[in-house]
Amino acid sequence: MSLYLWFALMVITSSIWIIWFLYRPLKSNKINLESSNITLGKQKLLELEQDLHQNLIDEEQFNQAKEEISTTLAIELQQVGNIQNNTNNNTWVLILILVLLPLMSVGIYQYLTPKNNIVQPLESPKKPLSLGQSAENIVQYLQTNEHDAQAWKILGLTYFELGRLDLSIDAYEKSYQINPKDLRLLVEYASMMISANDSQFSEQSVKLIKQALEIDPNAPEALYLAGMFAVSQRDFNLAKGLWQRALNAMPKGSIDRVALVNILSELKTVEGSKEMPEHSISVYVDVSDEVLKSRSSEDFIMIYVKAVKGRPMPIAIKKIKLKDFTGQVVLTDQDSVIQGNQLSRHDQVITVVRISATGSAMRGASDIQVLSKVINVADNPFIHLSVK
Amino acid sequence: MLIEIGHFALVLALVFAVLQVVLPTIGIIKHDTTLSGLSRSLLLMQFFWILIAFVILMNAFVVDDFSVKYVASNSNTQLPSIFKMSAVWGAHEGSLLLWALILAAWSVAVSIFSRRLPAEVLNHILIILGLISIGFLLFLLLTSNPFERLDIVPVQGRELNPLLQDFGLIIHPPMLYMGYVGLAVPFAFVLSSLIRGQLDSTWLRWSRPWALMAWAFLTFGITLGSWWAYYELGWGGWWFWDPVENASFMPWLVATALVHSLSVSEKRGAFKHWTVLLAISGFSLSLLGTFLVRSGILTSVHSFAADPARGLFILVFLVIVIGGSLALYAWRASLMQSNNTFSLLSRESGLLVNNILLVAAMLSVFLGTLYPLLLDALDLGKISVGAPYFSAVFVPIMIPAVLAMVIIPFLRWKKDTTQRLTGLLKWAWVGVGLLFIVSALLVDNISVLLAVFLFIWIVAHSLILLFQRLRQKGSMSLAFIGMIFAHIGIAVFLLGATVTTQYGVEKDIKMDIDKPITIAGYDFILKSVTPLSGQNYQGNKGHVEVYFEREKIADLRPEKRQYVTGMPMTEAAIDRSLYRDIYIALGESLEDDSWSLRIYYKPLIRWIWLGGLLIALGALLATFDRRYRLRVKG
Repeated sequence: MSLYLWFALMVITSSIWIIWFLYRPLKSNKINLESSNITLGKQKLLELEQDLHQNLIDEEQFNQAKEEISTTLAIELQQVGNIQNNTNNNTWVLILILVLLPLMSVGIYQYLTPKNNIVQPLESPKKPLSLGQSAENIVQYLQTNEHDAQAWKILGLTYFELGRLDLSIDAYEKSYQINPKDLRLLVEYASMMISANDSQFSEQSVKLIKQALEIDPNAPEALYLAGMFAVSQRDFNLAKGLWQRALNAMPKGSIDRVALVNILSELKTVEGSKEMPEHSISVYVDVSDEVLKSRSSEDFIMIYVKAVKGRPMPIAIKKIKLKDFTGQVVLTDQDSVIQGNQLSRHDQVITVVRISATGSAMRGASDIQVLSKVINVADNPFIHLSVK
Repeated sequence: MLIEIGHFALVLALVFAVLQVVLPTIGIIKHDTTLSGLSRSLLLMQFFWILIAFVILMNAFVVDDFSVKYVASNSNTQLPSIFKMSAVWGAHEGSLLLWALILAAWSVAVSIFSRRLPAEVLNHILIILGLISIGFLLFLLLTSNPFERLDIVPVQGRELNPLLQDFGLIIHPPMLYMGYVGLAVPFAFVLSSLIRGQLDSTWLRWSRPWALMAWAFLTFGITLGSWWAYYELGWGGWWFWDPVENASFMPWLVATALVHSLSVSEKRGAFKHWTVLLAISGFSLSLLGTFLVRSGILTSVHSFAADPARGLFILVFLVIVIGGSLALYAWRASLMQSNNTFSLLSRESGLLVNNILLVAAMLSVFLGTLYPLLLDALDLGKISVGAPYFSAVFVPIMIPAVLAMVIIPFLRWKKDTTQRLTGLLKWAWVGVGLLFIVSALLVDNISVLLAVFLFIWIVAHSLILLFQRLRQKGSMSLAFIGMIFAHIGIAVFLLGATVTTQYGVEKDIKMDIDKPITIAGYDFILKSVTPLSGQNYQGNKGHVEVYFEREKIADLRPEKRQYVTGMPMTEAAIDRSLYRDIYIALGESLEDDSWSLRIYYKPLIRWIWLGGLLIALGALLATFDRRYRLRVKG
């Protein structure tokens, strides 16, 4: 049933409802304000007597309160107007409802709904086109617009949905010939080729992925496919790196993060106990003699990296007693604080060296702290910091 | 298509709300009972269409229809089904739809359960409720459409705020809204009386059960919110004087005053001015709370929207409601004169004093909540008003109110004497005094000592009152039992809140695996921290063994979760009992086999919510008192 019919049905139901109750009103309880106030006045007197019985009012005040209740009742009865109610013939209401209800409801709906949203359901109440019909329409369109790369792309996708993989490849190829710089097309075309080839990567599909990454090295979809290719080559390390990059490129709250996080987690299972390549930061720390003299050898030196923005908590940390510190540490993913937040997942970090008496996560008043500049994790950098 | 039907259903609901106001108004003016009587049937249809819209939106969540912007923004395929359903009210648009649905449900309840009301009064009330409904439906349709479609449909939706993926979300907002919206009913009763110019016994008597019911829901909703914050936010606190919490607390204080003021007005015909003002301010404050939460003025877990258009709409609505009702009040002020007299020492005076104290307490919260916002808005600097302000201002106002609360039921109506009162209660006071002296020997903390005194004071007086009534045959009523429950609830809450604040222990500590740490007489051993993987999060799960006097009493497993959206969440592990809670929240890994943890020892914390539940139960019992089931003959 079309949307229009549904709307009509809803309006008709609403109109019938009103008309029904217009001619067959809900039964009234026949209580008028006068009888209500009289009943309540009597009830208040009864409650007053109960209060007297419960010693909640004394005899003298009881009599006064009794008078007050009577006076109040008298005033309330005076206030009640003596108006004769009647039931009229409300044909005008009937006409008004029949005219106004559809006009008001559809009018308000049209006013509130953006045109592009309502035009489609209202102008095309027919059944939506089937995929086959859509493909035919696009083919017809392309007969007169054969250089429309977008249309070829949509046709390729439509054929793919229809299971016509050969036709889909042809359509994508046409689109590719017209506009080989369309990132979206390159990714879709590659995906389709992989699907058509029983999830195997062909030379052509790998070439398309590379081209996509040349256009945008951080394109998440291209990175995802590149990661899939790496897995097919059993290069799990590369796959993980590519997917981590894809994950980093996705905005927080992105809809694809969920899937990618799951894939990464599955990859961990596949990879088993294998060591993953990871980024590392080598930190050389010079602690001056003055500082060493002022501190106990039991004090801690904490070397950690934190995100450039956001929460100041350490991403990866090493905590060593001053007496055991050799002057150099290497921070890797193994030193990460949270499993899902390894060092390698960050593009840029700041290195912090802190000497602390307690070794507490919170910075104390006597702690000495030195920070590095912002550093790129992917460079596997060597940092030199001096604590003076 | 279903989504468009839902949207259209909402439009139809608006049309019916308009008709619910217009046709009965014409009927009243023309003295046409058919037209004026249409209000009930029009209301039923309005409710039906809102319900249809609500069900369609819920269905969109359940079937993951991400073509709907609201669904795509607040749910995804991995969200457990129960949270998909509750996600409907997890953000602004859906919660407003729930608000409109609850308002319509309250209105239907009024039309069904107010059969003792004269039809003309009921019709006026339904017209006012229809007007409020128009305001909220317009707000929904013009600024907060939950059925808005997306041009490009995402294959996956976003994450519902992890804080809201909890049982608390399923029940806390609906209960709170029941309270907020419920205050619209006594407000509608008052306004209909002002419009009719008949501030009589009828509206006073029949509006009280509705005020009690709304107060019960509001109490329950606030209690649930406090309990939820305690276990979900990972701070171990139960009340933060957060402006949004205050926004619900202010109408609660006024509603408390209103149910007491109404009890005098309906029995003795006094305090009509006061009762009218309280009914107006109760609902106005619930609208103010909505304005604060929805305008983007406040930022907290409760704040749904930072949209000035929404803020402006509610502000205009607020001005119309408050301005209109106060203008009506001024116009009809002469009708509220009462000749009923009472002396300085009487039950009426006692209730009036308590009412004034409650309103003063509300004003202190109002000031502490809005003053910093006002300064900020005027660029006069930022100040933070927190617990120290409220402890210094709010608490001293409430102490006399609590002391008087249990004395007032002993006072006689209209006039009493100190001799009679002291004669009646002197032995009780001696007993309370002795118990207090014994407590003073055992308790070394002034605040706790004060709380113990107030607890003994309230419980002793309540029990004496109960035994007194038990001796008088036929004098027990649900209203009386409800009052006893509510007053004892206050005592239980007071003691719980003070003891947990004063004697609670909170430690942020570093724990090594298998190395015991002692806190508040309990030994804690961190046994392990293992990786954790849930449907839409990953993280770590700790295992802490808790020993008391060398006997193991609990295995607690706090979790630290990292949701796929990157939002971290602490799931505290709690060993619960009526006497104390042990609360553990897992922090960060510090080094090999070493973790930061927050361990809290919270004595009597459950008494806070037990007290809240007793108050709500008391209010609910009073609602069903036989006096409100009185048969009125036509």
